[in-house]
Amino acid sequence: MTTPAPGTPAPDTTAAPGGEPRDGGPSPGARVLGWARRIVLSTPVLAIGGALVLTTLVMLAVGVDPSLAYPALLRGALADGNLEYTIAAFVPTLGMALAFAIPLRACEFNLGGDGQMAIGGVTAAAIALHLPMVAGVAVVLPLAAAALAGGLVAGLSAPLRTRLGIPAIVTTLLISTPAVAFASYLVRFPLGEQGTGIAQTPPLPDATHLPALAGSSYVTIGLPLIALLTVAWLYADSRTVLGYEIRATGQNRDFARYGGVAVNRLAAVTLAGGGAFAGLVGALIVLGPPYRYVDGALTAPGYTFTAVAAVLLATARPIAVPFAVALLTVLQVGGQGMEREAGVPSQLTQIVQGLIIVIVAVFATVRHLRARRGAGA
Amino acid sequence: MSVAATGDGSAAPAAELVGVTKRFGPVLANDGIDLAVARGEIHAVVGENGAGKSTLMSVLYGLHRPDAGHVLRDGKRIRLRSPADAIAHGLGMVHQRFRLFPELTVAENVVLGAEPVHRGAVDRAAARRAVEELGERYGLRADPAAQVGTLPVGVRQRVEILRALYRGAEVLILDEPTSVLTPGEATRLFEVLRTVTATGASVLLVTHKLSEVLTAGDRVTVLRQGRVTGRFDTAGTTAAELVQAMIGRTLGSAGPARSTTGPREAAYALEVRDLSLSDRDGVARLSGVSFGVRPGEIVGIAGVAGSGQRELIDAVTGLNVPGPRDSGQVLLGDAPVRRGRDPEVAYVPEDRHGRGTASEMSLAENLLMGDQRRPGSHTGRLGLSRAAVRARARDLVERFSISAASVDVPIGALSGGNAQKAVLARELSRRTPVIVVEEPTQGVDVGAQERIHALLAEARDRGQAVLVQSSELSELRALSDRILVMFEGRVVAEFSGDEATEALLGQAMTGATTGATTGATPEATPEATPGATPVATSGDPA
Repeated sequence: MTTPAPGTPAPDTTAAPGGEPRDGGPSPGARVLGWARRIVLSTPVLAIGGALVLTTLVMLAVGVDPSLAYPALLRGALADGNLEYTIAAFVPTLGMALAFAIPLRACEFNLGGDGQMAIGGVTAAAIALHLPMVAGVAVVLPLAAAALAGGLVAGLSAPLRTRLGIPAIVTTLLISTPAVAFASYLVRFPLGEQGTGIAQTPPLPDATHLPALAGSSYVTIGLPLIALLTVAWLYADSRTVLGYEIRATGQNRDFARYGGVAVNRLAAVTLAGGGAFAGLVGALIVLGPPYRYVDGALTAPGYTFTAVAAVLLATARPIAVPFAVALLTVLQVGGQGMEREAGVPSQLTQIVQGLIIVIVAVFATVRHLRARRGAGA
Repeated sequence: MSVAATGDGSAAPAAELVGVTKRFGPVLANDGIDLAVARGEIHAVVGENGAGKSTLMSVLYGLHRPDAGHVLRDGKRIRLRSPADAIAHGLGMVHQRFRLFPELTVAENVVLGAEPVHRGAVDRAAARRAVEELGERYGLRADPAAQVGTLPVGVRQRVEILRALYRGAEVLILDEPTSVLTPGEATRLFEVLRTVTATGASVLLVTHKLSEVLTAGDRVTVLRQGRVTGRFDTAGTTAAELVQAMIGRTLGSAGPARSTTGPREAAYALEVRDLSLSDRDGVARLSGVSFGVRPGEIVGIAGVAGSGQRELIDAVTGLNVPGPRDSGQVLLGDAPVRRGRDPEVAYVPEDRHGRGTASEMSLAENLLMGDQRRPGSHTGRLGLSRAAVRARARDLVERFSISAASVDVPIGALSGGNAQKAVLARELSRRTPVIVVEEPTQGVDVGAQERIHALLAEARDRGQAVLVQSSELSELRALSDRILVMFEGRVVAEFSGDEATEALLGQAMTGATTGATTGATPEATPEATPGATPVATSGDPA
């Protein structure tokens, strides 16, 4: 206003680079554009899209034809003979996703899934081997005991968090390694199969085998069980007082405490609840084919961290968790098919997964910084 | 109502905002605002909460980029992409919440980020000298070697101002600077600001206290709903004119009437007996506090921030973490207060974002907190019924006239006044025997203030016992039947609502009370020797 308007649009001297005045009026077409933008720019869409673009670039760089690799990946996961494996991997991954997601609702991070799962699995194996089993309920007891054991392992982190102030993200992770090692010891020595030299338990009695679903040799009743528990969790999260209090605790601990919520107890409950799911997954693996605890078989597929990635991808929307798990499981199982068919190392799918996490994390950070800036105003 | 000319008489304004427009989503926070600050003037910016003051200042300080409009400095157009740009252009900001390092000394805090360097190391002597020189020049005395964490709030604020001046600020922006000060400290602050402007610097004072504007400001710009609704010279204007520009209408009479039937005989609904609390480090926070609140009575708590109000209220609501050397009792009727959160006590916390709400949860879910386990209308057959929770929330929204697009919006999207009304609605609707309210109208616009005061008076008239803590003395005087003054963890004086003047309260808040008050608690008077300085009082052990 007070500065004389320069006759020419040419920048005077040094001044500001590209500093022409922007007129901020929103045009009518912009609204439709903005609407479309919100969907396309949502974190999951961008994360998956970005990861696929980068992966494609990697493929091209190493001389792999993406038009062969991607169909091979999909066939590897979803073709007739392979779908069974994908579902068999989906069940433990979904279980582990809940192990991470349940405490996350209260803003507690459970990264100790491996340890909780191993202890759960070894507990199930020990009970199946050494307690006399009544047919019919024989699978129930090891499953319940495994959930309890996993819950206890995760629950250890709760007093460390509430009394000593050590974040659960640290303690769960630190407890996990010795827990896996302890399970490994049990399988090698007290519970191990004598004379084979392989670190595994003897085969479990038939009565304790999880019944397979009709027409399948790999998919057990673990699938409906986990599906049912997932639905129960989704319901509890949105429609119960407990779920409300957990969410409030996660959103603002002081607010929940102010509202009379026993936040420390809730933190313990969610951690133990998450651990129980991990323990249950351990039991589902052990009581399914090949019906024994084989050392390393529980942790080697990396269910725990695939599940963490899936939950992060779901950006804390509970209903999205099963879908994110399905997507990542397809990637993972399909990767092996891709390796067989197109000669692409299956590690490439881990790159995709890693990229997804990185992109989600970048978005979360940016959003956080923006929110802080907004709040500072 | 003389509208001031834009000051084009002699020179260009020190800082000028031209046609600034800033939009946050659907909210038009600033709508074509023009504001010119002349050299050497104290220019006040007033407006209700949500009027756009903070946004405007953020634009001037480089925190927000405007959607339209620009900033001139000494008549030249400047680009502000960050506070660093603003500082480079001689703009300095003193935030409402100080951004100081309590562990560092005054000198270290002042030079932080622009340290004088001597042979590659920070030149501490030069830093101290710089602070002393600046202090001398502007009458801002502060011991350069003192650790900031040990200083009173008023001095910390001086350190903030020194820091801005050290960075070469010629336009100082102060955001609600007196909200943490005693009346005496506030007076001293304005003396300092006068010295600063006498050197040719300018001050932009964001405030909602009209009395300050009229006594300390030269000119005023009034904002309402993102627009300028008035420009005044303070010399020729009155508070009533400012209020009208702020809220677009005139206010009703001076607040709710005090209870006439003071229930002098009734038993205490809330009683605190000889309460002493210490924090985790064993430092005494409350020493021998005793008082009671009867049903149908509002008792106010005054005091400089950090005098023990927070600890007292945490103890009364049952939220405090017990310390190692605690003693005394908090009684609700006959029973001791329940730890965790006593359901018999409604509580409106000062920290609306940190404690009173979860900003990302919906309004309905925020209105439920505290009642979620009480069997009632919000439960369905299988737990929490969403429809019932919403219906309950809609009922509260209507009864307390909270304006929100729906009960499903996150409460963080509501304006300060409406969020506060939501918290009040939640707590008052519970009809508990005792209500504790901290800063009932902080960050709330003038219109909503009236309504909130009326709600508290209604609660009192229903026979609830109300304890109000506020840093607004006028608010306490308008509301309270009795006012207790806290200083360094003690109740040092008690006044009846009628006899409490700002001068008396202000004096008591500094610890220099004379005990010449009718109802002063006996245990408070021995420490409060006439003429005793605050420092002397702080020395004696609990």
